[in-house]
Amino acid sequence: MARRDPLMPNAGIVARREYRDRVRSPMFIFSTILLIGVALVVTLAPIAIRYMDRASVTRIAVVAQDEELAIRAIGVADSLLNIPPDGVDQATWKRPFVVERAGDAASAAADLNSGEIGGVMTVQRLPSGQIDVAYTTNGPADGVRSQLVGFAAIAIGIIDWTSSLPEDSQLGAFVTPQFHVESTNVATEGGIALSPQAVASRSFLGVVFIVLMFMTVIIYGMWVATGVAAEKSSRVMELMISAASPRQLLAGKVAGIGAAGLTQYVAIVVPALVVLALQDPIAEAVLGPAWAAGTPMVGLTPGLLLGYGVFFLLGFTLFALIYAAMGSFVSRPDDLQTMSLPLSFVAIAGYLSAIAALSGGGGTWTIIASFVPPLSPFVMLARLMIGAVPPWHVALSIGILLVTIVFVALVATRMYAAGVLLYGQRPGIRAFLAAARRAG
Amino acid sequence: MVSIVLVCENWVAPVHPDLRLTALSTVLGYARPVSLEIDHVTKRFGTNLALDRLTFEVPRGSVFGFLGANGAGKTTTMRICLGILAADEGEARWDGSRTTDLPRRTWGYLPEERGLYPRMTVLDQLVYFASLYGVPASKARKDASGWLERFRIADYAPRRAEELSKGNQQKVQFIAAILHDPEVLLMDEPFTGLDPINLVLLREAFLELRDRDRTLIFSTHQMEAAEALCESVAIVDHGRLVAGGTVSALKRASGRRAVRLGVEGDVAPAWVADLTGVRVVRPGAGHVELELDPGVEPASVLAALVSKGVPVTHFELADPSLEAIFIDLVGRPADDDVTLAPDALAAAVAAGGVA
Repeated sequence: MARRDPLMPNAGIVARREYRDRVRSPMFIFSTILLIGVALVVTLAPIAIRYMDRASVTRIAVVAQDEELAIRAIGVADSLLNIPPDGVDQATWKRPFVVERAGDAASAAADLNSGEIGGVMTVQRLPSGQIDVAYTTNGPADGVRSQLVGFAAIAIGIIDWTSSLPEDSQLGAFVTPQFHVESTNVATEGGIALSPQAVASRSFLGVVFIVLMFMTVIIYGMWVATGVAAEKSSRVMELMISAASPRQLLAGKVAGIGAAGLTQYVAIVVPALVVLALQDPIAEAVLGPAWAAGTPMVGLTPGLLLGYGVFFLLGFTLFALIYAAMGSFVSRPDDLQTMSLPLSFVAIAGYLSAIAALSGGGGTWTIIASFVPPLSPFVMLARLMIGAVPPWHVALSIGILLVTIVFVALVATRMYAAGVLLYGQRPGIRAFLAAARRAG
Repeated sequence: MVSIVLVCENWVAPVHPDLRLTALSTVLGYARPVSLEIDHVTKRFGTNLALDRLTFEVPRGSVFGFLGANGAGKTTTMRICLGILAADEGEARWDGSRTTDLPRRTWGYLPEERGLYPRMTVLDQLVYFASLYGVPASKARKDASGWLERFRIADYAPRRAEELSKGNQQKVQFIAAILHDPEVLLMDEPFTGLDPINLVLLREAFLELRDRDRTLIFSTHQMEAAEALCESVAIVDHGRLVAGGTVSALKRASGRRAVRLGVEGDVAPAWVADLTGVRVVRPGAGHVELELDPGVEPASVLAALVSKGVPVTHFELADPSLEAIFIDLVGRPADDDVTLAPDALAAAVAAGGVA
């Protein structure tokens, strides 16, 4: 096999045809418009939720035998649950919770069952003098509201205790303790730790980016595999394989379909990001100035966008090459689902590892996975979004990915060359892996 | 057992495995210089031996028939020439260079399995295929339009391939194979599925390309087509050359003698059965082709027919048909299949190197 065809111009010609074929298809145009709509709805959802929050008031009933205890409980719960957001206009701000005393426990329970109230706080003094607070809710036991009621219980206890002290007590006034959270791994920008708002933003955007990358790899990777399988099933591959080398065909297909995917991706993501960036102004315009909650884009920097772009491209290329090799091993596109399942599991593993990293879990596994392809594009991106990552970690991760892509491209090209001539077979995963071993 | 023979202008010789190709071309007595050499090519698919030291030559600027049953090794040989498959042993050469060293545009290929991009317009995909061989888009568009016109499918240029009939798709594929004006055109069963009018159009195109010094090699089961178009042929069976050379030499060397006979009304086989040493090899309505055993003179056959009162309208001494020669050499008709085990093929192709 002495012939060594240069990659260009044929890879470019193949890529151009693949790109045009995809982006001109009615299905592509329809799905792009649909997905743009879905993305805009999703990005506007928080404003809608806030709008509904504004319109709804949650009632909490307090049940207590002791009149004085009931008044204290209502006062404390009301002040804790109805803390106005920073900068809110007190005159126009509407309290989201109404805390009121129930006639008796039975009627409160009935109201809770019927959904008229959101929770019942039962306060009683035990024979030992200890205050007992029970919160009955239809919601989750560990919800934010339940936790606030927990704080309220402590405050009720403290106030009840201080009120029982003798008038000549030598104790000083109760001073609310200060509370700080200090994280040892906070994302930095130019060596300066990010603000809590920026950290929260990055955590949110990290989830968005990881989900996007996962969907991109699965959906557009399958496009590549389906494109190869379709060429095979339509037998046009017989003509193609004599006109261009497998390397040119594979590179062109991955690049062309990848570019089509990127086009759709940009068409969906850019409007969504614009809406995200404008979420506060939109919320202010729709709901009033009190409802601006801080833009979710505040943590996004050019460096992060670049990092996302690099890991997105490398991750997609790696998966697309494997998908193309898989596509060459089936005779009909229908057989691809079974064939591609293990690769989907690998992508899911990367996705879950990245989500675990974003939520602060993962530990050592997160560090290891951020270097191991094909998990690394997901996990290293997650690390970049939420923590301070040494530059050499990023460089090493990219280097390992590049080396892996070159190796996979060589193996995939040989598998593709062999696979596209196979007809009437259902080789399955075992045969595919055996061929990969031989090609390697 | 199939014997391997070389058929030359006036004699038949067994092929010695070590016979060098330069000598072979001289022995074969081709009028044109030899350009394509298939030199002791062996290819295995697992345990199946697809090509067994296959050796033959094709003169430049000729139409060459590559004959054999399904599975005889024709497609494998073509794929080796194109560099799609690698030979285990031996090599294919064009003008002395290994075929895999030559640019892809040297070759045009019409595969047996027809396929086009179903949603792409006819003209767009012709331009696309030509561009892969380095033909500028404007030239490809102009030439493609000319060929479409010639094949009477110009109206289909802006339509999707999926809207065309199989025959028309086949013509489009043929155009795709020649649009870059290759020196050698390899075609796998080019006539399958064509109606008589398109068959004529395709044959005319073959002859025109040959006259432009292009070399056309095609495999076929249709012996009549091969007989009508080919100056020389190679007959392969189980990956081995059974016979090769000019068609006329093959016929003369076969030792067969045939008579084409026309009669008024229907030919009744009953009176043929009465003739000694005469067999019907190609029956037909109003005419019949008879083969004569050695020692039986055509004149005596005619005399016998006249004496029986058979109304003879046509009597012609003819060469034996290529089909009869093929059956003699291979032992079965060309459309009988010789198949490889699918698993062995899959494993072997997966393991094989491809350029």
